[in-house]
Amino acid sequence: MFAYALRRIVATIPVMAVVALFVFSLLYISPGDPAAVIAGDQATPEDVERIRASLGLDRPYLVRFGEWVWHIAQGDLGTSIFTNLPVSTMIAQRIEPTLSLMVITLILAVGIAVPMGVIAAWKQGTWIDRSVMGFAVLGFSVPVFVVGYLLAYVFALELDWLPVQGYTPFSRGIWPWFQNLILPAVALGGVYIALIARITRATMLEVLQQDYIRTARAKGVGQRGILFLHALKNAAVPIVTVIGIGVALLIGGAVVTESVFAIPGLGRLTVDAILRRDYPVIQGVILLFSFTYVLVNLVIDLLYTLFDPRIRY
Amino acid sequence: MSTSTIQRGILRPEDVAAAAPLPDVLPPVKARRGFFGFIRRHPTMAFGGALMLLIIAMAILAPFLGTVDPTALAPARRTREPSAMYWFGTDMLGRDVYSRVLYGARVSLIVGFAVAFFSSVIGLTIGLISGFVRWADAIIMRIMDGLMSIPSILLAIALMALTRGSVGNVILAITIAEVPRVSRLVRGVVLSLREQPYVDAAVASGTSTPRIIIRHILPNTLAPLTVQATYICASAMIAESILSFIGAGTPPIIPSWGNIMAEGRALWQVKPYIVFFPAIFLSLTVLAVNLLGDGLRDSLDPRMAKKV
Repeated sequence: MFAYALRRIVATIPVMAVVALFVFSLLYISPGDPAAVIAGDQATPEDVERIRASLGLDRPYLVRFGEWVWHIAQGDLGTSIFTNLPVSTMIAQRIEPTLSLMVITLILAVGIAVPMGVIAAWKQGTWIDRSVMGFAVLGFSVPVFVVGYLLAYVFALELDWLPVQGYTPFSRGIWPWFQNLILPAVALGGVYIALIARITRATMLEVLQQDYIRTARAKGVGQRGILFLHALKNAAVPIVTVIGIGVALLIGGAVVTESVFAIPGLGRLTVDAILRRDYPVIQGVILLFSFTYVLVNLVIDLLYTLFDPRIRY
Repeated sequence: MSTSTIQRGILRPEDVAAAAPLPDVLPPVKARRGFFGFIRRHPTMAFGGALMLLIIAMAILAPFLGTVDPTALAPARRTREPSAMYWFGTDMLGRDVYSRVLYGARVSLIVGFAVAFFSSVIGLTIGLISGFVRWADAIIMRIMDGLMSIPSILLAIALMALTRGSVGNVILAITIAEVPRVSRLVRGVVLSLREQPYVDAAVASGTSTPRIIIRHILPNTLAPLTVQATYICASAMIAESILSFIGAGTPPIIPSWGNIMAEGRALWQVKPYIVFFPAIFLSLTVLAVNLLGDGLRDSLDPRMAKKV
């Protein structure tokens, strides 16, 4: 087990290296010459050259990459071109709303999708099953921001049950905080629910045909016990894998959802940075999101043995 | 079965002694052929295909469907509600939303099809190389794993930040974001096909590697690849609208569904129709492609049918 964990952790190093190389190259090949910008319009070519040398921009690609990685390892993500603030500070200011949104969406999605998939598998072929599958196809087809606007229009503008837009920090109380996140979480969760429900149903259908399910039924285990204890436990590995892979959908969707609901999180930060071509911020956010994604999936891989003791490494 | 069952006449004794012999020839299954047979056998594919054809026709015939110039400004007639004159109303610059939505279908379809095509071709090439060239496999797959760990919409956003917004660049950015998944799929298929006895037989009879790839491997990757391509087409359409919506996609002058929604955003609380009409069309188009993909998957891989 320990050897497996170590191997699995080591295996993420090349992945992270590729991500870092890609993100670094983004700035390297980005249009515009920082030295020329800093030097200003009046500068002579010699001035620009001097500034380039003082910024270290004249050194080879790999040297600069190494230096950049070294800075990141120390938590220095560079400085925003637009606000002149350290990127790490800007990320720290914006992380709470995004994290809140994702955690609520995750809980909501898993809480809805898994029972949905289990029931669809149990009632295979009935109208319940068909409506779950129909919902899944819709979830894949209707983009996040469309769901977002629709929900905001119905529940906030027409019915006036929930706030239309904005974000309330957690420190101002749980209810105001939660109230603002309900609609964004439902909008963001749509695709995620569709994905998890579909894989839950497929895996459950397979598991329900196994011999031990028949044995359980024969010895008198009730329907609920069979579904949620015997079957779901054995279907856990693919479901948990998909929950981990789906985090990518959450990250991508958060960027859009935050724009629709005017939530001042990392997604808004990304969008603003792109409109201003603020490359250090773009780099920082992509790096953070990608590393989070890699780590989530690493943890899930390591947790497999808990869900399924038959897996031995 | 007990004797009492037999006595009650539910089963006759001769049934118990020996099962009734099966008829020598089973009656032929009546295969439904032709147009209506296809609809009966593949309702999702038929519905998705019909919807898709309708949308393609709408995009091609946009100039003849009562539209006006989708970029014509008319400040005097801005933000009109939908009416007989302006079916979907007008936007904040007085442009006809109905015309813009119809022309917008062209952008979505072009981006969807182009990304599906290019990422399939590139992914197929990379996947085949990876499946056959041992030393390249490790390197290629590490790069693909790295790229796959960047959420694809973020990857596309990052690439768009490097270039000007144009339809070509949007296609390129989304294609690059989709290629890793396709290459992984193709590589997986290739690796399992290489273990097949008929490939061994081909090797044993002295078939050259390129010929094995073309005659034995390639045709068998096409089914899963086609299914994957339809899903890529659907997600590319969504990605395009997201990029345009956040201002990193097609230039605002082009009426794409994402752009129309982005422009309607400021006004959506008072004039929701500017956002909702392109939203409905986008959702229907993606739905059509997804249904087509589900139908294709079910008919190309019957074992998976009705399961996922």
